[in-house]
Amino acid sequence: MKCDRQTLPIAAIRAENPSLRTFVLETSLKAHPGQFIMLTIFGQGEKPFSILDVTNSSCSLTIKNIGPFTEALFQLKVGDLLSIRGPYGKPFSTETGRVLMVGGGFATPPLRFQAKALQELGVNYLVNINGARSADDLLYVPDFNDLCHRSLIATDDGSLGHLGTSVAVMETVLSEESFDHVYISGPEKMMQAAAQVARRYEIPFEVNLERYMKCGVGICGSCVMDPHGFILCMEGPVVDHEILEKLSEFGVYHRDKTGRITAL
Amino acid sequence: MRFLGKEIQSPLTLASGILGISFSSLQRVIRDGAGMVTTKSLSLEPRIGHAGPIIAEFEGGLINSVGLTNPGIHDGLLEVEKFHKEFAGVSIVSVFGADPDEFVSLAEAVNHSQADFLELNLSCPNVADEFKRPFALIPEKITEIVSAVKTVSKLPVLAKLSPNAYDVAGMASLAETAGADGITMINTLGHGMVIDAIARRPVLHNNFGGISGPCIKPLALKLIRDVYLKVNIPILGTGGVSNGLDAVEMMMAGAAAVAIGSAVYDRGLDVFRSTRQEMEAFMAEHGYADYADLIGILQEN
Repeated sequence: MKCDRQTLPIAAIRAENPSLRTFVLETSLKAHPGQFIMLTIFGQGEKPFSILDVTNSSCSLTIKNIGPFTEALFQLKVGDLLSIRGPYGKPFSTETGRVLMVGGGFATPPLRFQAKALQELGVNYLVNINGARSADDLLYVPDFNDLCHRSLIATDDGSLGHLGTSVAVMETVLSEESFDHVYISGPEKMMQAAAQVARRYEIPFEVNLERYMKCGVGICGSCVMDPHGFILCMEGPVVDHEILEKLSEFGVYHRDKTGRITAL
Repeated sequence: MRFLGKEIQSPLTLASGILGISFSSLQRVIRDGAGMVTTKSLSLEPRIGHAGPIIAEFEGGLINSVGLTNPGIHDGLLEVEKFHKEFAGVSIVSVFGADPDEFVSLAEAVNHSQADFLELNLSCPNVADEFKRPFALIPEKITEIVSAVKTVSKLPVLAKLSPNAYDVAGMASLAETAGADGITMINTLGHGMVIDAIARRPVLHNNFGGISGPCIKPLALKLIRDVYLKVNIPILGTGGVSNGLDAVEMMMAGAAAVAIGSAVYDRGLDVFRSTRQEMEAFMAEHGYADYADLIGILQEN
């Protein structure tokens, strides 16, 4: 059967902030913004990670240290082996008209990848709103400045940019300018709020969803979403507004590692 | 056609462990053309299962070591109830117990659900560290567990057998004598191992896992034939079926219905719709009016 696995040494490690690092692997992976890979640390386990960027010869992953697996990852050094399989999942669409991107927290790396991809396609007008708790938590501020026609910042504590959430800034931007499409990536409650705003302005949008994933290839059932059995790892993780409308569990619950329904 | 008295829209069945337990994925498989769905094996308590990687590909198929991940019988049966709510589809609830008493408790719990059939997973190869040798390899355990469950179960009971037993037909015969209403076979083969040479490591976190996919189909066909000739209860055949012709062959060998698992990986969820179309095309071309006409019609040389 088809096999997409590659085992590679870590080519570079870059600290983005105290809890986030970017790991670079030398490989020619044909991946698109919003797609993910399954990453194995031998002896530690395997987890899905969104792709930050690919070039002809590299694949980068920005990863936050949140648990035992990522703690083991953060112990690794350049030259240590990682195994990846993928890329998996459905990427963001490629709208090149007037495009707004709304990001929250450490879910912004796919939007940086998307900004780069849309620029390469000659996007007419691209605005990004980069939201985080505090200035220290913001990611890729210079990159978004370079890649976007307009780049806005929102912090919960007001330490940089607008005081408040990226969704509040989104409201303001939409009241001033018109857009053809919105791309949203952030915590689920934030995406839910942003989706409501986009709907109110009747702008098509896409969100980048997360569910517990174990196989990544649509057979284990861990990431299936109710009520129609939407297989997020294959049919997502990027979901457009029409599909999102049907995912009744969005913003309400998910299933845990055993498959039990758990409130968000 | 009918399977153990229940009307089913096609003989195709979702094998246990594929697509999990959520009611929505089970309903989706029925909408795609399957006649029955088997839940992931439910245990008394929830289980996280093994760490990933839980599957590894190789040329001939897959190996997996999921480790019986499941939400436990209570939450699992909540999904089964949602599956049956205003929805026509036949469900097989698979259960896994550590001993005969646990199987009995699980069977009693399933009695109170709307499930159609109970499947006893006597043959999971991936939890031997925890539960020792699979029951399907121990003749007296097959008899003990099936008999105990049959004294309490209100549902028809399928015993899921392992291809690793020396005399699989003998094991099926024991299950039949103990009261089993049907046989599900075969569970995954082995253990097998897939090795990453660069890393000098097995790919699976659990090091080894059960082998499935096209490479086990010839074994499944032979064992199903042996069992078909030995017992008088229906067989839910499984093992390496990826397309309509595979399913036809398995029914000719003796299966009364055919479950699909690993092929979901290779062909996507459309595998149920396309396999059913392929079966019907074969039957139309070769003059078989009904799925049931295929069962066991193999003529040996």
